[in-house]
Amino acid sequence: MVIGPDTIATTPTQFLPRHRFDDLVEALGEGGRRVVGPTIADGAIVFADLAGHESLPAGWTLQTSPGRALLERLPDGPRESRTFQYPVSGEGIRRFTFPSRVDALAMETAEDGTVRVRVAAPAEPMPLAVVGARACDLAALAVHDRVLVGGPAIDPDYAARRRDLLIVAVECALAGSTCFCASMGTGPEVTAGADLVLNELDDGFVVRAPTAAGERVLATLGLAAAGPDRATTAAAQTAATRAAMGTTAIPADARSLLLANLEHPRWDAVAERCIACANCTLVCPTCFCTGLEVGSGFDGAASSATRTWDSCFTEGFAQIAGGSFRPRHRDRYRQWLTHKFATWWDQFGTSGCIGCGRCVAWCPVGIDVRAELNAIAETAPTPAPIAVPARDTVEAADTGLAPLEFSPATVVSVIPETADTTTLRLATDDPRILAGLPGQFVMVGVPAFAIPPISISRFHPDGLELTIRAAGAATSFLTKLRKGAALGLRGPLGRGWPVADAAGRDLVIVAGGIGLAPLRPVIDAVLRDRDRYHDVRIYLGARTPRDRLFVEEIDALAASDDVLVRVTVDRAGPEWLGRVGIVTQLFKSVRGTGADATAFICGPERMMAATADVLGDLGVPREHTWVTLERHMECGVGLCGHCQLGTRFVCKDGPVFSVAELGEDLRREGL
Amino acid sequence: MDVAMRAGAAAATAGPNHATGRSAATRRPRVGVVKFASCDGCQLTILDVEDHLLEIAERFEIVEFAEATSRRSSGPFDVLLVEGSISTPEQAVEIARLRAEAKLLVAIGACATAGGIQALRTAAEHEAFRAAVYPVPAYVDSLATARPISEFVHVDAELRGCPISPEQLVEVLVSLTTGRRPQLPDQAVCLECKRRGIPCVVVARGLPCLGPVTRTGCGAICPAFGRGCYGCFGPREQANTAGYAAALVWQAANPAGDDPNAPMPPPDSRRPVDEADVGRLFAGFNGATAPMRSITDKLGGRPVMPLRATLASPPETLLGGPPRWGAMPADTIKSEDPDGPRG
Repeated sequence: MVIGPDTIATTPTQFLPRHRFDDLVEALGEGGRRVVGPTIADGAIVFADLAGHESLPAGWTLQTSPGRALLERLPDGPRESRTFQYPVSGEGIRRFTFPSRVDALAMETAEDGTVRVRVAAPAEPMPLAVVGARACDLAALAVHDRVLVGGPAIDPDYAARRRDLLIVAVECALAGSTCFCASMGTGPEVTAGADLVLNELDDGFVVRAPTAAGERVLATLGLAAAGPDRATTAAAQTAATRAAMGTTAIPADARSLLLANLEHPRWDAVAERCIACANCTLVCPTCFCTGLEVGSGFDGAASSATRTWDSCFTEGFAQIAGGSFRPRHRDRYRQWLTHKFATWWDQFGTSGCIGCGRCVAWCPVGIDVRAELNAIAETAPTPAPIAVPARDTVEAADTGLAPLEFSPATVVSVIPETADTTTLRLATDDPRILAGLPGQFVMVGVPAFAIPPISISRFHPDGLELTIRAAGAATSFLTKLRKGAALGLRGPLGRGWPVADAAGRDLVIVAGGIGLAPLRPVIDAVLRDRDRYHDVRIYLGARTPRDRLFVEEIDALAASDDVLVRVTVDRAGPEWLGRVGIVTQLFKSVRGTGADATAFICGPERMMAATADVLGDLGVPREHTWVTLERHMECGVGLCGHCQLGTRFVCKDGPVFSVAELGEDLRREGL
Repeated sequence: MDVAMRAGAAAATAGPNHATGRSAATRRPRVGVVKFASCDGCQLTILDVEDHLLEIAERFEIVEFAEATSRRSSGPFDVLLVEGSISTPEQAVEIARLRAEAKLLVAIGACATAGGIQALRTAAEHEAFRAAVYPVPAYVDSLATARPISEFVHVDAELRGCPISPEQLVEVLVSLTTGRRPQLPDQAVCLECKRRGIPCVVVARGLPCLGPVTRTGCGAICPAFGRGCYGCFGPREQANTAGYAAALVWQAANPAGDDPNAPMPPPDSRRPVDEADVGRLFAGFNGATAPMRSITDKLGGRPVMPLRATLASPPETLLGGPPRWGAMPADTIKSEDPDGPRG
């Protein structure tokens, strides 16, 4: 139930005397509900099971500043025995709805050789009541709702844990130096998302119940009305908290500022201090990135995968077999800050920062996101406002797949292509995969290995082909599979080539090396329906003659009159009579002005950028020039966070993008 | 190199025997465990993997493992686990011989991967250490450095830690038999602390902790007990030790407010008070690695041994005879110890 600000403001208040707090805990625990709340452990205030008022941090406060969150006794005075007289806890309530480790799936090779992928059933958590959540915690929960269950792909584990959650919020009676919720519009007033709201006074709590569930709990306590004096004191206390924070902690329109300053020297300066420890992302209550840890027995016949909290501050986060896309701390810090304050808006229609300041306090070297934003604002011209695009401009693929849902497939033949590349012809009866589109990909699961994304290199009525280069351990294993081997497929995923939109146009297809694999279904589609397209030209590059893919097919195609085919290699011995040179040298011209041409390009990113430039010079429109990107992917549906490129999730918004959509990001290092 | 295990290189496993391409052993791989300069703790960790010991013994033929069996072998090995650093001239010769006998060589532990605690002498007065420890240093045939195995021979994989993690050892053995890449994370300890819900000891208690610049794999044992990480798994990927040391120096100059009532850290956790204290943090088991050593070089904190007088020649009563080892020619000793024994 969504509770608007008006509902809460007009909700009548009651008074819970301090000595009756345990009655509230007892009422919350009715029916076996688990009750958690703040308590002191390991020198910090953390959430744990709440036995009663004795668990609460009565008499303690937290002094937070960049890099520090120190427990201190409350000073003597009327507030000395308050229980919630501290700014945000070290770790919010994220762990209860989004645990750090979740069983994700189990894979096994059965006696008959088939591979079974069993997706772990969502958790069946016991009903939970959280006492002591703050306005920022609730705002963060609302962000997670959008990210994890608000899109086409949902996280079933989160959905299950979120289902029966009772929240007793506390309005903050003081602000830490690291707090800036008032600037982000998320607090300190609790305006939504709570079932009960407490305002702590010296002798007890003003309570209101904005939801029916909260009302039911409150009704069992038989409390008296709070009365106007207490209600006024409570409101004044929250107002003082707001005043202490101010509302100008960060620059206005931080999103435009960041998007306009992706190469600002401040990124280098902060990278000298940033130790990329990942703490900011792991205390952030809106961060949602995860990775899969695969474990197996000695024979590798069975394995299990655990989904764990991951962070964009690690090198492995953006790593593919060829290296990491964000090798430098500068790249990682820029990803963090721009995601929270800028690209989150593009992806989810909201800010990724809710102003709790945990990333400031819990940064071991005390980097303050507010100071970083202000430092950029002070040294950069005021940016022109960059509007948040309507969210449906990028057509996200609705896969209809639950995360990690796999279907079985069998290898029916193995076709060696080059020394390191093999094509697997697979049989599957999954109608979704058979209805896939050129340019889409599948995640390929075999027990004990990581699950790589592989482009589909041909569709058959009863299956598909995958052309795989042995780049890492998993792909090496896949290239060694034999006829009869079984594996799990998950897909088809992503947005493919807009082949239909190219009807009636000239078509230029450019591939480098393994890049021909995702383009082969395009060529198949064109040949099936050759009359729909005008001039069709295919330009192929490879490192050496021996690295060419689908050689017989391509030779046959070149011999036909259907399309123009040109092949070049980077280097070759005397046995090669064809062209030598880079692929961009192949096309000095396209038909006519180029304005009527659509280009599909796949290869290394630098090759694609260079090719797009040459085609642009020849007049091919940028919005008709398409490339496909490779990124680290674990889920394929935009939930794990690994494949982000600026505002995009490559897995679901791509992997095929037009050069116009990508803009400068196609060439931006470390994005 | 590092953990770049050659995928599918499960040494003695013969060709794939069924459609999945999985290899099945026609004979069990021959495994050896050897040591150089080290405390044997990593070898003992192998014996700690109790749940897996039987399976390991079934799947591998242990042909050399002084801590576990009297059976001896000088090779060949399909897999050779090497503990310890190269600290003497004989060891430098022996590791080259063993490498030639081993299809896969895995360096285990901080000594084998970074030199270990004894590598502190690498940047210190070797002679002073010798003189402080041995009455007659002339009889001790040691190199001026203690260096990781990878500086002498090619290493196929490394397991960090002092001691290594039993789980990671099993992971490497499983990888050998399945052909996959071992999952040995190279990220900071901090991720493990956060996943476990351990509040940051730097932020909450002002304690020095090397977790942000140290590779995870231990399960964040030390922070779980309320003390700082001392870096036994060595530098994590792209460790920004300079940035972190600068912050620790600042904290030393601006100590956290000590509330006498606040929960206190354990007594063995001391906050640094000056630059040398911060430098000392980095001079541990992995202090000889470049990211760590760069800090100690800059801030100080390396242990210093006072030179003391030692005997020029051994009294018969002390040693009961002439030195029994003399494999290395005398000039080798000279080259390592230009000053020779002091009198």
